Amino acid sequence: MWFITVIFKNLFRRRVRSLLTVVGIAVGVAAVVAMTAIAWGFEKSWTGAYNARGTDLAVTKTASKSPTPQGFDQSVGDELKKLPGVKSVSALLTSFMGIEESPGMVVFGWESGGFVWDHLKLIEGRWPASDQKELVLGTISAELLGKQTGSKVQLDVSEFTVCGIFESAALVENGSLIMALPQMQKLTENVGKVNFFNLRVNPDVDEAGVTALQKTIKEKFAGFNAFRASELASNNTGVQVAKAMGWATSLIALVVGAIGMMNTVFMSVFERMHEIGILLAIGWRRYRILLMILCESLALSLLGGVVGSVIGYLAVIGLQATPMLRGRIEGDLSPQLFLMAFLVALGLGILGGLYPAWRGSRMAPNTALRYE
Amino acid sequence: MSEFLIDVRAVHRRYDGGNVKALRGVDLSIRNGEFIAIVGPSGCGKSSLLQLLGALDDPDEGEVLFRSESLRTLADPSGFRAKNIGFVFQSFHLLPTLSAVENVQMPMFEMPWSATERRKRAEALLHSVGLDHRLHHLPRKLSGGERQRVAVARSLANEPQVLLADEPTGNLDSESAAQILELLDEIHGRRGMTLIVVTHDMNVANCAGRIVRMKDGRIIADNSTASPPCGS
Repeated sequence: MWFITVIFKNLFRRRVRSLLTVVGIAVGVAAVVAMTAIAWGFEKSWTGAYNARGTDLAVTKTASKSPTPQGFDQSVGDELKKLPGVKSVSALLTSFMGIEESPGMVVFGWESGGFVWDHLKLIEGRWPASDQKELVLGTISAELLGKQTGSKVQLDVSEFTVCGIFESAALVENGSLIMALPQMQKLTENVGKVNFFNLRVNPDVDEAGVTALQKTIKEKFAGFNAFRASELASNNTGVQVAKAMGWATSLIALVVGAIGMMNTVFMSVFERMHEIGILLAIGWRRYRILLMILCESLALSLLGGVVGSVIGYLAVIGLQATPMLRGRIEGDLSPQLFLMAFLVALGLGILGGLYPAWRGSRMAPNTALRYE
Repeated sequence: MSEFLIDVRAVHRRYDGGNVKALRGVDLSIRNGEFIAIVGPSGCGKSSLLQLLGALDDPDEGEVLFRSESLRTLADPSGFRAKNIGFVFQSFHLLPTLSAVENVQMPMFEMPWSATERRKRAEALLHSVGLDHRLHHLPRKLSGGERQRVAVARSLANEPQVLLADEPTGNLDSESAAQILELLDEIHGRRGMTLIVVTHDMNVANCAGRIVRMKDGRIIADNSTASPPCGS
C-alpha cells in the first residue's frame, strides 16, 4: 500500500463532503478563470488592434487613459511627421456610441489614405469616402446590427449608409464601425480634432530608437505622450476596470473557497481525532500526520482546480456566444491562465489545509485516543 | 547500563488539575522477555501505567526509563513507539476504511521498507495469526476475535521489543478470548518479546510469568508465578 492510497481512501470515505468541497473550489476557480480570461482578453484585443494596424507608437494626451480620450488639434500630426525616424502618421478619432438597438459599439473615424486601413480586408462593397455620410462595418458588428451593404445606420441624429463590410485580425475592430475622419469629426462635433495619432517608424529604427522617439515626443509636445501598443492597452481605463473587477470577483471567490476548504478539512480532522490518536500510538510521526491531512486538502483543491478550469473555459466560450456579448468580449484562454488557475488551486489547498493539518498533528495521542 | 529493559521510578500521574490521582509513586522494573500481567479493579491506574510505558503520556513526577534512557527526554516519541512498542487495545482500534492487510501495513510507513515489502510482511503476519482468508476484508466484515487478531498482527508490524496490551480480551467472547490469549502466549514464547498485559481476566493473568497487582494508583503485590499453560 502506498501513502497516497491512505489519502484517497480517506477522501472517498466522505465522498459527499469531498464532492461538495470540490464543487466549492471549482466554482471559485471557474470565477477566476472566466473573469481573468475576459479581463486579459479585453487587453489582448486592444493590443491586437494596434499590432494588426502595424502601429509602433500611439500618441495621445498624457492625462487620458480612456480608450476614447478628449480630442485635441489635428495639426499636431503635421509636427509628428517631421520627427526623425517617423515613417507615417495616421489620425484617428475614436468614440463609444449606442447604435440603434445595440447597447454600445466602438466607432472609429480614420484619416483617408492612412496606414491603419491597410490591414483591413474588404469583404464586400467599398471603403467610405470623406465627403459622404457612409461607413463600413466589421463582420461581427454587421451581424449584430443585422446590416449589410446598402443598409442605413442611425448614429445619434445622423443617418449613415453602409458602403462595405470588412474583416480584421482584431476583435475590437471586427465589432466596430469605421468612417472617414471628417465625417466622424462632424458627427461628434469635434471638427479639426482627433484623439489619437498612430505612428509607424522607419524599418531601420530599432527598439532603442523607438524608446528615444517616445522620449522626444514627450519632451517636445507638452501634455502628450507616446505609448507602445501594449502600454496603451494596459493603461486603458476600460482594461484597468475590467482587470480590477476580475480580480475583485476572483478574490471573493477565492476567500469563500479557502474558508470552505478549511471548514471541510477541520471537520475531517475533528471527526478523525480518534484515528489520529491510533496513528500516533502505532508510531506515525507528527510530520506524517500533517502531510496526510495536507495532501487530502491538496487533492481536493487540485481536483477542484481542474473541474473549475473546465467550467471557466466553457463559461467563457458560452459568454462569447451569447447575443448580448458576442463580438464584445474575447476570452484570453492562454496556457498562462490555466497555470494561474493551477497555482490558485494549489494556494487554496495549502491555505485551507495547513492550519487544520498542524492542529491535527499536534494532538496528544492519549487524549486523541479517548475520542470516539 | 541497568539490567532492566524498563524501569519505572516513583511515578505519579494526576488528571483533572490534580483532583484525580491515577498513579501515586509507582516503581516497577521489567526485564527483557518477561510476560507481565497488571491486574486490579477499574480505576486503579493500570491503563495510565501502560500509557506511560508506551510513551503515550508523560508522568507528572518520577520517570520511566527504557534501556536506561528517560522517555521524558525523547525528541521523537512517535519514532520511539514505531521502533520499540506494539500496542493492542481492548477496542481493537483498527482504521475502518482500510482492509486487514492495509491496517497491518500502517505502522510500517515509519520503516525503510518498500510498498512491496510492506505488503509481504503484512501478509506473513496475518498468516501467522491465522487470517490468510481475511486479508482484504474491512474491519466491519470481521468478527471481534478476527479484528483483535488483525490488531495483534499490526502490533508486530515493526518487530518491536515490547508488546503492550490493554484488556486485549475485554471485548471478546470466551472462545475468541482463549484464542487471543493463546496467540499472545505463542508470540511471547516464539519471539521472546517483552509482553505487558493489563487485564481483569485472571485466565489472561495466569498465563503471565509475573503478576503485578494494583490498587488506588499503587502496586500492592508483585509476584512471579510458575506460569501454567494458557487457558488452563
